Amino acid sequence: MTSLLLSGPDRLLPYLLVSAVLFAAGILACTTRRNAVGYLMGIELMLNAAALNFVAYGRFRGLEASGHGQVFSLFVIVLAAAEAAVALALVYSVYRTFRDVDLDQTTTLGSKR
Amino acid sequence: MSALLLWILAAPLAAFLLLSLIKPRKGGDWVSLVAMTASFGLSLKVATSVLSSGLALAGPSFAWLSLPTGFGIPAFSLSLGLRLDSTGAVMLLIVTGLALCVEIFSTWYMHGDRHYSRFFSHFSFFCFAMLGIVLSDNLLMTFVFWELVGVGSYLLIGFWHEKPAVADDPFYQEMKASDATGILETKLSPSHAQLKAFVMNRVGDFGFLVGLGIFAWAALAAGLQGDILSWDNLRLAVNMGAFDRIAFAGLSGSTLLTLAGIGVFLGAMGKSAQFPLHTWLPDAMQGPTTASSIIHAATMVAAGVFLTARIHPLLTPDALLFVSWIGAITAIVAASIAMVQWDFKAVLAYSTVSQLGYMMIGLGAGAATGGYTAGLSHLFTHALFKCLLFLGAASIIHGCANHQDINRFGGLAKKMPVTALATGLAVLAICGLPFFSAFWSKDAIVASAWLAAQERSLHGSTLLAWGPWMLAVLSALLTSFYMTRLWTLTFLGKERDHHVTHHAHDPSFAAKAVLLVLSLFTLQFVWTGSVNPFGTGSWLDNALLPVGAVEHLSESVLHHAHVQTMILATILGMVGIGAALFLYRKGPVAFKIAPVWNFLANLWFIDKLWDLLWVEGLGKRGGKFVALLDLGSDSRLSTLETAPRLSPSLDGAVDGTAHFTGRLGSLLGRLQNGNALSYAGYTTLALGLLVLLLVI
Repeated sequence: MTSLLLSGPDRLLPYLLVSAVLFAAGILACTTRRNAVGYLMGIELMLNAAALNFVAYGRFRGLEASGHGQVFSLFVIVLAAAEAAVALALVYSVYRTFRDVDLDQTTTLGSKR
Repeated sequence: MSALLLWILAAPLAAFLLLSLIKPRKGGDWVSLVAMTASFGLSLKVATSVLSSGLALAGPSFAWLSLPTGFGIPAFSLSLGLRLDSTGAVMLLIVTGLALCVEIFSTWYMHGDRHYSRFFSHFSFFCFAMLGIVLSDNLLMTFVFWELVGVGSYLLIGFWHEKPAVADDPFYQEMKASDATGILETKLSPSHAQLKAFVMNRVGDFGFLVGLGIFAWAALAAGLQGDILSWDNLRLAVNMGAFDRIAFAGLSGSTLLTLAGIGVFLGAMGKSAQFPLHTWLPDAMQGPTTASSIIHAATMVAAGVFLTARIHPLLTPDALLFVSWIGAITAIVAASIAMVQWDFKAVLAYSTVSQLGYMMIGLGAGAATGGYTAGLSHLFTHALFKCLLFLGAASIIHGCANHQDINRFGGLAKKMPVTALATGLAVLAICGLPFFSAFWSKDAIVASAWLAAQERSLHGSTLLAWGPWMLAVLSALLTSFYMTRLWTLTFLGKERDHHVTHHAHDPSFAAKAVLLVLSLFTLQFVWTGSVNPFGTGSWLDNALLPVGAVEHLSESVLHHAHVQTMILATILGMVGIGAALFLYRKGPVAFKIAPVWNFLANLWFIDKLWDLLWVEGLGKRGGKFVALLDLGSDSRLSTLETAPRLSPSLDGAVDGTAHFTGRLGSLLGRLQNGNALSYAGYTTLALGLLVLLLVI
């Protein structure tokens, strides 16, 4: 069964597994990386996991001729580029304020740990 | 003409507002004087037209509250409107006239006071409220202005609110050095006295509100149109038998009517200082004497009598008997206390209470016996001579460096002849000697009480029927005794305390003129237009005829009762005057039957009983109970910082709620720590939960 899914004409599962790993890696980066840039990388990973899912589903489950999956992926990529630009600007701004990009340190709300 | 009623009411209000706005540092009396003169002038014009035509004058009126049919209650309205009938016309003349006299007198008496203009401002406010009661055309508006005169009285009793309580006042302690007992022991500071007056009046006003509610209910049941609480509509409702249509908790309609009457009368008992709510009036003497003269002697305390007269057609025979008894008890209690008082104003205060009791006896005797007319006549004659007595007191107190102790006066007649003459005439009037005003009005009350007693003894217990008459006769004797004692000790004999009386002098020209004008009204001739003491059917009698059809007793029965009462009262008056003159001709004498003296000097222990019941009992004991629920306002405030966080009490519940929400807030607040990483964690957690929810 497993081998069939991995090798048959419907080879969706490997893509999903890769996507899930990518997403998990992104979450892990977001929740553990204290560096703001690492945090942003985590977000990029999650976005790419989602884009991968779009393409995979478009190829194996949707109407391939329509190309919907690919179009959505393009959107995600463009969005990710825009987001990265804004976020990096924010990080730069945070750095100018705090002289630091450590997310644990760059807080003015609540008690500092 | 009818718009003039509004101007009469508005003039003193305008004076009050103007004085309150500009707050002159000194002066300002002219604003009040101009307004009061205008009010008095217009009153003269309106009242003479009402009195000569005998027709009531309806003034402007507007619907205050109009409700359509709903909730099973028919449509009804409550209005504020003015109306002047012949009884009101006499009252109007007396209120505006006396107010003007007192204001003129006050320009002398209050001269140099730090708050000279404030006196006139508050005085104008009182006049406005008092005129509102006189001119009101319905029970609700009367209640509103009833409370407003209460405020006016409160403000003026506490006029010198900086003055300390007696115990802390060396001046009073010095006065007490002479062998004086009585009201001093219970004397309160002005700020305390004003509260006492206000609170005691609330007790009566509670009854007023209940009675007002029952009357409104009955009027609704009768399905009356227009303002349901107007005097005409209330009378109509009772005549239509509206009270037969209502019942409550096993009480029949007629019982409810009695209760409603007694309820409104309770309000009158508070305002007119009737037993057992009379204890505030003697304390109210802490106000300026000229304010006392009109508020706590002539007009405001008589408002209770006036109200009782207004609701007189609505009172059942049982309610009238109640009124009679309250009046009689008040008359005798106050008269007996007045016998042993040493403070000039205290004697006058108790005398006022006693005379108000008389008026109630008259009203309680019913309309057929002439009691209604007699009670109101006495209201008016009393207003004039009691106001005069108080202005005389003001003159004496001013002349004797604020001393009020009659034991230390004496021989003042030579030093202040005009005051002595004026107060002397007033004393003769209150004693009820022939040719003086109260001879005619007070004796009419006693005669009506006698006739009513005869009537009532046919139907019920003899003692219950005759009690009011007997107490009234006894009070007449006591009245002439204590008033003569007061006058004799003050004006006759030798100077007893040079330190007190050596500066004594008659007041200024204007004030003297006021005294002399008022003393004219102690003569019967001015009131009835006839020197014949046995004459009836004067203009005043005609003005004060009861409203609606009343079948009077036959002329011969009335005449017989009047003649025998007059003979009896004259003898009693003479005996009282003679005894007092004989006993006190040389100054204070110690004739003390200890138990009686103590009883009277302690004011029948009524003040002490009230203190024990309400202040000590309900106040302090009840306060402890309340403190169990609540931490108690005083202690709570002082220990707010140190009070235990949570205690099983009402406060504990409140504190607990605050404590709990506070803790919960700080707990949740930890989530909002400003750390982006933990926010990411929460987001992930929420995402996981969402996925879990979708999968399962």
